[in-house]
Amino acid sequence: MGRLFLAAAGVLALAGVSLFIGVSDVSIASLISGANDGRATMILLLSRIPRTLAIILAGMGLAIAGMIMQMLARNRFVEPSTAGTTESAGLGMLVVLLFFPDIPLIGKMLVASVFALAGTALFLRILREIPLRSVLLVPLVGIMLGGIISSITTFFAYRFELLQSLGNWQSGDFSTVMSGRYELLWIAAGLTVIAWLAADRFTVAGMGEDFTTNLGLNHRNVMTLGLIIVSLVSATVVVTVGSIPFLGLIVPNVVSLMMGDNMRRSIPWIAVFGAGFVLACDIVGRLVRFPYEIPIGTVVGIVGSAIFLYLLLRREARYG
Amino acid sequence: MIVHFSNHFRTATAALALAASLALTAGASAQEITVEHAQGETTLPGVPEKVFAFDIATVDTLNAIGVEVDGVPDASFPESLSRYADVMKIGSLFEPDYELVNAEQPDVIFVAGRSSSVYPQLSEIAPTVDLSVDWTDFPTTIKQRSETLGEIFGKQAEVAELIAEVDADIASVQAQAPSVGNALFISVSGGRVSAYGPGSRFGWVHDDLGIVPVIEDVEAATHGEAVSFEFLLETNPDWLFVLDRDAAVGAAEGGQPAAQVLDNEIVHQMSAWQNDQVVYVDPVNFYIVNGGLNALHEMVVQVGTAIGADVE
Repeated sequence: MGRLFLAAAGVLALAGVSLFIGVSDVSIASLISGANDGRATMILLLSRIPRTLAIILAGMGLAIAGMIMQMLARNRFVEPSTAGTTESAGLGMLVVLLFFPDIPLIGKMLVASVFALAGTALFLRILREIPLRSVLLVPLVGIMLGGIISSITTFFAYRFELLQSLGNWQSGDFSTVMSGRYELLWIAAGLTVIAWLAADRFTVAGMGEDFTTNLGLNHRNVMTLGLIIVSLVSATVVVTVGSIPFLGLIVPNVVSLMMGDNMRRSIPWIAVFGAGFVLACDIVGRLVRFPYEIPIGTVVGIVGSAIFLYLLLRREARYG
Repeated sequence: MIVHFSNHFRTATAALALAASLALTAGASAQEITVEHAQGETTLPGVPEKVFAFDIATVDTLNAIGVEVDGVPDASFPESLSRYADVMKIGSLFEPDYELVNAEQPDVIFVAGRSSSVYPQLSEIAPTVDLSVDWTDFPTTIKQRSETLGEIFGKQAEVAELIAEVDADIASVQAQAPSVGNALFISVSGGRVSAYGPGSRFGWVHDDLGIVPVIEDVEAATHGEAVSFEFLLETNPDWLFVLDRDAAVGAAEGGQPAAQVLDNEIVHQMSAWQNDQVVYVDPVNFYIVNGGLNALHEMVVQVGTAIGADVE
């Protein structure tokens, strides 16, 4: 427990750093002096705090969504962006852009969620048909499925000249997050709590359908709950800040290396690491080209794919 | 997205070579016309009658000098070109419908910018001319491209007259610009904001119209630099020129329209917002048509009118 508090304190420190990084002058001194008609306070409230909260909520939510998916698919290399979930949410976004452009954000999120749910369910359905469940085959199937779904999206986006708008929507970026444009992410926080409460069920479900049934749990119900959580989290994040690749894969894997697969025990760690990882990457993205920004999707993509490869190769070595 | 730039040297040689070749063929319109352009040299058997253009800037210029275009891409057309909504569609801005173009056998095909990468394929089908303009020398290259068109179709006088009008208005804007404060050019797409500076895609507003940039060093990236609302507040330009990119491609309702994205408490603190000096530039002219002679004139007039210059 002590170590967890230490980690949480580290993340809080990062959050503190995040609050004081940006183009405007926001510092303790400028906050106290109230210079410039209290502009520092205004920026802090309208821009910095919302952005930092959005980062923490998205990071926690996606990391836990990844963990749940890994339990449900019984594979370490599955997460929303390697299982077609993110791509399906993107297809949902396109449908919104084409047919219901004027509905409020919550409606957009619901449409994207329905698509994410359908896509994830399709992925798990395909997995059940594949007799050979090699560690690498499962995420490959997911990435291929995601490729097919995003090619459909691209085709229609291209036809309707929405390619670039969709690209902007989908690429993860916190630069325009401010008060009033991130609050949907609190839904992800609520889902994280639900995931925590149901953690034991997911741990059991991760041991397989027969095992789950033997313990008197309804496997299908656990799967459905997990799917709904994953889809809603993915959709809220995609709709509000865009997709952040690999996050749901790296964080649960690192935590699992540290402390095994008991989900009740690992969930707080996953939440803390998820938030910390995205915070660190966003801070880097804000500093490298200051005062311009590198979108979080790009930073996490670069760092994340390197760690992903490391995990893959390391695993091969262990079993090879 | 691949965008080709023509270079100055080539542009200059093209103009010279064209002048030379036209001198040889002058007075005999049925004779061959050799046009040097951004990707080489194309020989036309005579004044083309069936004209295809994948570049709306070219359509815009031809329309302004009274030349009919018989095939255009399927894209957003500005009000002034609305009649082209019903003209034969020969592909998208980026990709031709090769079978259709082949079946139709036009006398000449014009490509530029977005379509310049398909020049090799199209030139196998029919004589093709690449009229790409250069963003770093925008008005000048537009004028040169227009002169090329004028010479192909024997409309030199019309082109010269239009250029004189544009030049007069550019001069008016240049005269007014230094006294109105500085400006930042941004585009908004899918809820995100990008900034552009001198030398970039929209940099001609600074470089050629003389509007003082609020920051000098924005990278000349094709799609600008991602910035936050805080960035806008801190650079705090006197004028904010806004391109609503989603509106340009006809998806205004789809993404978040720029006005909605900018209508927030941070932007409200900017002096440009408070002084009502946020200018939403015509998205179709600035983003889609971009390099046409008439569009150039309209853009100059829009910017000039906004800052109170004596235009038109």
